[in-house]
Amino acid sequence: MSTLIYLSSSPYTSSSLKEALDLALVFGTFEQAVSIAITGDALALLVEGQTPSKRQGKHLYKLLDGLEFYDIENIYVKETEVKAFGTSLWTGVQAISQEAWIDMLEQHQHIYRF
Amino acid sequence: MNYSLLITGSPTASRACYSALDFAEAAVANGDNTIQGIFFYEEAVAIASSLAMPPRDECNIRDEWSAFAKQHNIPLYVCIAAALRRGQLNEAEAKRHEVEHFNLADGYQLEGLGSLVSLTLESDRIMRFK
Repeated sequence: MSTLIYLSSSPYTSSSLKEALDLALVFGTFEQAVSIAITGDALALLVEGQTPSKRQGKHLYKLLDGLEFYDIENIYVKETEVKAFGTSLWTGVQAISQEAWIDMLEQHQHIYRF
Repeated sequence: MNYSLLITGSPTASRACYSALDFAEAAVANGDNTIQGIFFYEEAVAIASSLAMPPRDECNIRDEWSAFAKQHNIPLYVCIAAALRRGQLNEAEAKRHEVEHFNLADGYQLEGLGSLVSLTLESDRIMRFK
């Protein structure tokens, strides 16, 4: 049984992404299979060289390198969105086609969207 | 079917807590269904404030949920991290953070996200209300 944490909110407009990643880490801590999908406004989470102040929001980018320690190794983005984004993004993701994206969604028993 | 509910929408800025209670009532009205637990996360944790005082001629969704949960013996979990961030404390957390007041309403309990993981594993379906 696997769970997908599906991120589409911006990392800086609310605490939603922070609370989504917290949930992903807890699934990992409980040794449950968990993957992350990142799309839309949430892609901003992956932009390299972010330097948010405390007031601007939690530096969530720093969490990304630690995901592997929770056995969270499948982090999916859409190829088309990454190409259109134009900035260099964190490299620990798997960029997949739209068709593969749909297959990936179907492989998860639970999907939590944030 | 054994359900759990994840509610994330604010009790004042969304209909999530209200629609979820409608669903829960309908689910248990059918004797084939059970509800394992309710988990309030993100903005939904505001439901557990004992200090929210809606006008008396309006629905008090906090009390309606706690009455329903008591009647059917269903736990109402409130994410502790999300709750503390938003000013929802029980007596133990008030002591731990050395503040004088606490406001967690009767019938609700602060729990970690591990309880949501357990509900996910123990239920046939998780219904999300945001």
